[in-house]
Amino acid sequence: MGVSSSDFWHGSAPRSHTIDRVSSYAQVRPEQRTPIARYRHSLWLLTQRDLRVRYSTSVLGYFWSILDPLVMAGIYWFVFTQVFERSVGNDPYIVFLLSALLPWMWFTGAVSDCTRAFLREAKLIRSTRIPRTIWVNRLVLSKGIEFLAAIPVLVLFATLYGAELGVDAVLFPLAILLQAILTVGVGLLVAPLVVFFRDLERAVKLILRFLFYASPIIYGTTDLPPELHFWAAFNPLNGIFSLYRAAFFPEQLDWFAVMIAAVMSLVFLGLGLVVFRRTERAVLKEI
Amino acid sequence: MTPVNQSPAVESVISLQDVGIRFRRNRRGRRNFKDLFGPRKRRSRPGEFWALQHITFTVQPGEAIGVVGRNGQGKSTLLKLVTGVVLPDEGTVHVTEGVAPLIEITGGFVDDLSVRDNVYLTAGLHGMTRKQVTARFDEIIEFAEIADFIDTPYKHLSSGMKVRIAFAVISRLEEPILLVDEVLAVGDKAFREKCYRRIEELLAGGRTLFIVSHNERDLRRFCTRGLYLDKGDLVLDGPLAEVLARYNTDYGVKPAV
Repeated sequence: MGVSSSDFWHGSAPRSHTIDRVSSYAQVRPEQRTPIARYRHSLWLLTQRDLRVRYSTSVLGYFWSILDPLVMAGIYWFVFTQVFERSVGNDPYIVFLLSALLPWMWFTGAVSDCTRAFLREAKLIRSTRIPRTIWVNRLVLSKGIEFLAAIPVLVLFATLYGAELGVDAVLFPLAILLQAILTVGVGLLVAPLVVFFRDLERAVKLILRFLFYASPIIYGTTDLPPELHFWAAFNPLNGIFSLYRAAFFPEQLDWFAVMIAAVMSLVFLGLGLVVFRRTERAVLKEI
Repeated sequence: MTPVNQSPAVESVISLQDVGIRFRRNRRGRRNFKDLFGPRKRRSRPGEFWALQHITFTVQPGEAIGVVGRNGQGKSTLLKLVTGVVLPDEGTVHVTEGVAPLIEITGGFVDDLSVRDNVYLTAGLHGMTRKQVTARFDEIIEFAEIADFIDTPYKHLSSGMKVRIAFAVISRLEEPILLVDEVLAVGDKAFREKCYRRIEELLAGGRTLFIVSHNERDLRRFCTRGLYLDKGDLVLDGPLAEVLARYNTDYGVKPAV
């Protein structure tokens, strides 16, 4: 039963005297910003925090974020140009590798971080009421910033090995946009579900490892057997990586795959938003 | 249900309409996809219980409300609903003004960052701009009495200091609604008194206060109105003295003769 008797209080005089040290809230309370501005503000604060924590606690800081793809690129370069006779990809192979490896690092880093998006920040989520999608978006954003920060490495290797930058380099921003949409979508899908099904955390790791070889990273889209071509396009990373690569290797551009990738990314985003909204209530209780 | 004699000029800042929220009794219990995506049924399933149900009340600006009840009767959940960090399974929670929640206040602080960074971060997450934080920074540090530790990583502070800096930040938020959930049980006596004075100042400045406490003296000090929660129901909503009297007859220890 709910007994409401706030009317009871209307006789009492409002506390109106003000003590000097406390300014009345009308003057100083956080200026009324639009929800979007507040969202951006919180998102940016948390992303900054992520990056600051990562870099303030390690000596090598920034270099860690490029060391990982560099070591991997080095390994594949060695295996496929020095050990095996390579029949896939383009020359220079190291540029070919890096142009897909760097965005892959963004995708895989953000998605695997998203598996712990709620669990790691449970205390903070329980004490602030910023929109909950921020917990996913800030991970995608901070990994995205690391990706952008690693692009000079790609440029460096391209100049060292004399890869020519084509006009298709203008497609780079489109690739980033598509990948951001896709990654946010997958993140929104994964983050809440992991809270209920902890096994999913390991499953996601496994799927990501599979996806590394199922996506055109060490090979190109054109290297797939023709009968797989159509189906491979339904892996949205296929189209996205072909956009990145087109900057140096125009023949890698596959508009059919790009179209499918765009549709798939939007589908993932839509699905992610629906799942996130439906499960938000239960997630908040669980953490 | 709306209060009858409500003066039209004053709009309520908090209003709960037939609010209910349920939890699982057994955290390890099996969940399936149907549970997650199925329609929100009003009936609770086996293994679930209603932490709160059919809660309806409104709060006018400037009121100071104490929530009483035994452990596990939904007091903290009620504060969390008002803060908006959990969502009700039924009914609506409507809060028109900003909230400064003194709930799990140290939650936003990051171990590896310095006190300074943490102050900017937490205040920012609660809606303050950089400029506003800068303007209040000295005041916050002075209140927390940790001027010597501004650049110390948060993890190296003592637990008392952690709570002090957290309280200092949240209580400077200048939001119109202040929610307090027994955080003040920690900290030494002198600091607790300081916190209480700060809360009184805020009340005098026209803030709305919502406080959960087991300490009758604290409640009497701040509050005029009380809410008594028992077994997930709002049993009584009235003047604090009445609410405390009822609570004491139900569960209280008889005053020593």
